[in-house]
Amino acid sequence: MSETDTNTDGSEEARTDGGGPGIVAPDDETPTWRERKERTTGLSRLTYEYFERARREDQDLRTESDYVERDVLAFPTWPHETVRNLSIVAFFTGMIFFLAATMPPHIGAPANPSSTPAIILPDWYLYWSFGLLKLGPLNPDLAILGGQKLTADRTYGVLANVVVVGVIAIVPFLNKGSARRPVEQPFWSAVGVGGVVFALTISLLAVKNLMPMNVHLLFDLTFLLPIVATTITYAILKTMREGYMYDLNRRYYRLRPPK
Amino acid sequence: MADEFIKGVGIFTGAGLGWIVLAGWYRTPSFESTRQLVSPVSPNPANADLFNLLAIGLMDVLLWFAILGPLAFWVLLPAARQARKAVEGRRNA
Repeated sequence: MSETDTNTDGSEEARTDGGGPGIVAPDDETPTWRERKERTTGLSRLTYEYFERARREDQDLRTESDYVERDVLAFPTWPHETVRNLSIVAFFTGMIFFLAATMPPHIGAPANPSSTPAIILPDWYLYWSFGLLKLGPLNPDLAILGGQKLTADRTYGVLANVVVVGVIAIVPFLNKGSARRPVEQPFWSAVGVGGVVFALTISLLAVKNLMPMNVHLLFDLTFLLPIVATTITYAILKTMREGYMYDLNRRYYRLRPPK
Repeated sequence: MADEFIKGVGIFTGAGLGWIVLAGWYRTPSFESTRQLVSPVSPNPANADLFNLLAIGLMDVLLWFAILGPLAFWVLLPAARQARKAVEGRRNA
């Protein structure tokens, strides 16, 4: 029962709806003034003050007289979640009707199946895969083969798809996702940001004949920008983590505490 | 602080929606074009009728409202407030 042992809030006046420990912020977990003053620099200070304020507001809510501690860590599906979801659905449905009514798209001439257009592209959400087919410059020509390439460029592009999809498939086995916020695991957050940026840049490489810039520069940026984004994200989150309070998070998410 | 944020967001999205519809009507020759929303106004405002003229004027008003509104609520007003607080703090110190 180490779970209940940590609940030394001593607030017997808090009413509960089914027993169980009340998860009121204990006063002895509140940092001392000395601890506060130790975190004095920039971003970590800001992170600390943000979560400290969130903790304080939560504590004030819980000590109000009409507060009832519930055993569930969520709102009921009906009516709370349903009404919210219906209003969101209504908003986006209305937005679709509004845009379709005010800006009806012109329907062009039917496609001619006997002629190939000058520019062929998949739908935009497959640009990343299309971009991976254009990695020809990365395909090494080997001196041992007399400057020949081991595989054709098109085979190389297909293999690149296998590699990228394989890496994405492996990630859930390397990181089980116990972090509730990016600040808790700066490395994996940085990897994620790098992946998103790479998805964007490789998509831009896919449409390189439409991009108004030097193709070689575009090719280099495709691989450099994800590295830059990863480094910046890691540095920022690593700095923020100094001011981050794990105890606050553990109180909120009892179901899956961070490692 | 949160109030100022939602004011800025509301102005940006509301005015932006109005602008994008009007610019879709008056500054988009075709949805296949590469210069949508920024092409020259057509029909020409010089000989447009009253309703088109009103809509063309409203389009520019909404565009500047969508730019200046969030700028005011997110940058200018908070900066002025901070500056006033700093001045008062220095005066009291």
